[in-house]
Amino acid sequence: MRAILRHRLGAASVTFLLLVALLAVVGPWVAPYDPLAQNQDALLQGPSAAHWLGTDNLGRDELSRLLAGSRLSLLAALEAVLVGLVLGTVPGLLSVYLGRVFEWTTLRVMDAFVTLPFLVFAVAMTALLGNGLTQAMLAVGILVSPAFYRVTRAAAFPVAGAQYVEAARLTGAPAWFVLRRHVWPKVLPAVAVTTAATLGSSLVIVSSLTFLGIGIQPPEPTWGGMLATSLEYLFQRPTAPLVPALLVILTVGACNGLADALRDVTGSREARRVAA
Amino acid sequence: MSRLARTFALLTALVAVLAGCAGVNAGAAPQTLKWGFNLPTSWDPVTSSTGNDINTISLVYASLTQLDEKGTAGPGLAESWEYEAGGTAVTFALRPGLTFTDGTPVDAEAVRQSLLRGKTQENSLLKDQLSTITDATVVDPTHVRLQLAAPDYQIPNLLAGKTGAIVSPKAFTENAAAIPTAPVGAGPFMFESFVPESEAVLVKNPGYWNADAIDVERLELTAGTDPTSVIAAVQSGALDVATITGRQVEQAKAAGLEVDVVDSFTVTQVDVHAGLAPLTDRRVVDALKYAVDRQAIIDVTNGGVGNVTYQPFPQGYVAYNPELDQAFAYDPGKARALLAEAGYAPGSLDLTVTVNSVSQATAELVQQQLQAVGVNATIKVVPPGSSTWQQEVYLGRKAQFALDGTVGRESPVQNLTVVYGPQGLMNTSKESSPEFLAALDEVRRTPLDDPRYPAVLQNAVKLGVEMSPSFSLGTSPRIAVRNPRVSALPHFLSQYRWEGVTVAAPGSRA
Repeated sequence: MRAILRHRLGAASVTFLLLVALLAVVGPWVAPYDPLAQNQDALLQGPSAAHWLGTDNLGRDELSRLLAGSRLSLLAALEAVLVGLVLGTVPGLLSVYLGRVFEWTTLRVMDAFVTLPFLVFAVAMTALLGNGLTQAMLAVGILVSPAFYRVTRAAAFPVAGAQYVEAARLTGAPAWFVLRRHVWPKVLPAVAVTTAATLGSSLVIVSSLTFLGIGIQPPEPTWGGMLATSLEYLFQRPTAPLVPALLVILTVGACNGLADALRDVTGSREARRVAA
Repeated sequence: MSRLARTFALLTALVAVLAGCAGVNAGAAPQTLKWGFNLPTSWDPVTSSTGNDINTISLVYASLTQLDEKGTAGPGLAESWEYEAGGTAVTFALRPGLTFTDGTPVDAEAVRQSLLRGKTQENSLLKDQLSTITDATVVDPTHVRLQLAAPDYQIPNLLAGKTGAIVSPKAFTENAAAIPTAPVGAGPFMFESFVPESEAVLVKNPGYWNADAIDVERLELTAGTDPTSVIAAVQSGALDVATITGRQVEQAKAAGLEVDVVDSFTVTQVDVHAGLAPLTDRRVVDALKYAVDRQAIIDVTNGGVGNVTYQPFPQGYVAYNPELDQAFAYDPGKARALLAEAGYAPGSLDLTVTVNSVSQATAELVQQQLQAVGVNATIKVVPPGSSTWQQEVYLGRKAQFALDGTVGRESPVQNLTVVYGPQGLMNTSKESSPEFLAALDEVRRTPLDDPRYPAVLQNAVKLGVEMSPSFSLGTSPRIAVRNPRVSALPHFLSQYRWEGVTVAAPGSRA
């Protein structure tokens, strides 16, 4: 962690992500207005002292909605990543240890997931399970799991056959001990990098889905949903899409920055070790 | 310089000279109009599945009759019609000498075959509308007689739209499966080329019965322009005419474009399913009718374009009943009182508002209005798709309170049947009072030119409105943005029409 903060991009990314997370947590308390309160006397206003980011088509305060939307957007992205993490990492590790049949089956299942396009699958899932962000992100989580599966497997595979692991096993170390002591430390950095990168892409997917109106229960605000609404009123408020769009771009950028930093940091440690 | 190139250069020069001469009078380039609109679900009137298709289908087909500006049936392919006493048979007299664009004659035999195809073709979506016609027979080459199941004086209205669009029998007997992409009719235009999902290029049909009124010589129909860029498309000349929403009027005018607001048959409404608790209590249903601020919806979601209405017809149409002008005028106090009478304390009544994904703002507005009278509404968005709304609302009948609308029908009886009839698609409760059905039957039995007709029709409308748990919200005029070089569009309640529309040369104004 300290290494990341010393990394310039890493530090910037972590700071930004913490800031967004903070806004997501305390946003509802610092918001100047109720994000759902409509005001027909103040439709589509530009930025002003009363409304820093202006008001939307129903007279709701944009800033308050943006703050309220942060929480939902981030939680949805996290949901997808967590689902992917669990569904990918666990079978990824086990595929190295549980023998041929399990390995073959999981590989084929993951290959099958890779062939499905995210958005289309998520849309189909909402049609099947009801129009909700949880359902949609569950679908996305399933589809990102191959990334975790493959990364985990690739990292665990060389370790599984290494001589010191063989030795540990021969001396009678149970499987869980081998996994924890020898395999997991090797796998963790790779998984961490994947998690950060996937968080970024999940956020893009959340924003795309909500932009399309899939998964939102109005009047619930989301970044993508606000972006979509603001585009309908470009004439009245030409700058309105900027803030939600920038927020998405910067947050995704920060996730990718964090992934880069993690890779650099863990990679260099490996390199140092090899050099030593 | 090769010979070919020289010939080409000569030709170009010649064309330029000719264009120069003709330009003095009218403009030598054909009057071309680029229209941005949805392509029909099918170019075959028998398999077209939405009411909106009439706007485009009527480019290539002429119907037996045609609605005038006010929605009254007048001559089309038929010059006139005559009912037999009792109203169980009607004979249409066709204009002599007309041909389809494939050269075959539009005679009584063609009309007979075309109408009967709508009754018999397996995948026909016109079977319901045509069920009132039991048979068609040829009297002589210009007279076709329709036998009706029961007295029904609405046939001239019924046959003014898709139902009465006449297709060339030669084309559909050769290959009926080709009609949806290669229509052959006797309408104002005919196909030059068509790219499904993209565009159709049509040229004027000189053989159309009213060809003198059509000045546009070439009509390019382009689909799929994004609403956010449609005004820019007209401004740049990519389109000449396109449909916009009320909120875009200001933008269109600021861009120096012309805007036509044309009254239409479209009326938004709430489909209330009185079979689902708590809507089984009529007082709750009535409370909802008073709780919705219709004017606010029009102002906020459609830039103030449209009128509040409490019936499924626009003002100025024969079916419009002025007695209903204040039927359920916005009165939150009365709504609260009705809810209290039904035993619901503020905040104790839950309701689901079902809406399609494009009308979310309306739902959010209604949600707040219901909140104000103590109803907790949650919004259910029906995802986009061709059958999702059907499954949720029309066929599935799962919606308590669905934000919907009727695009209207050529015959007011048809519209009333869809909205309030016992089998009506939009009547999700599927119940109708015997009084309403009797009144509707009386409308069918009253000739269109009978002086009593408006009163009889308006009475049926009133009974329908008072009986139904569903309620109308407001009219939704057709709003068209057009390049100033296109002349004003005619005001037809029923659909877009192009009679009298002219297109001046680029750069000039009509």
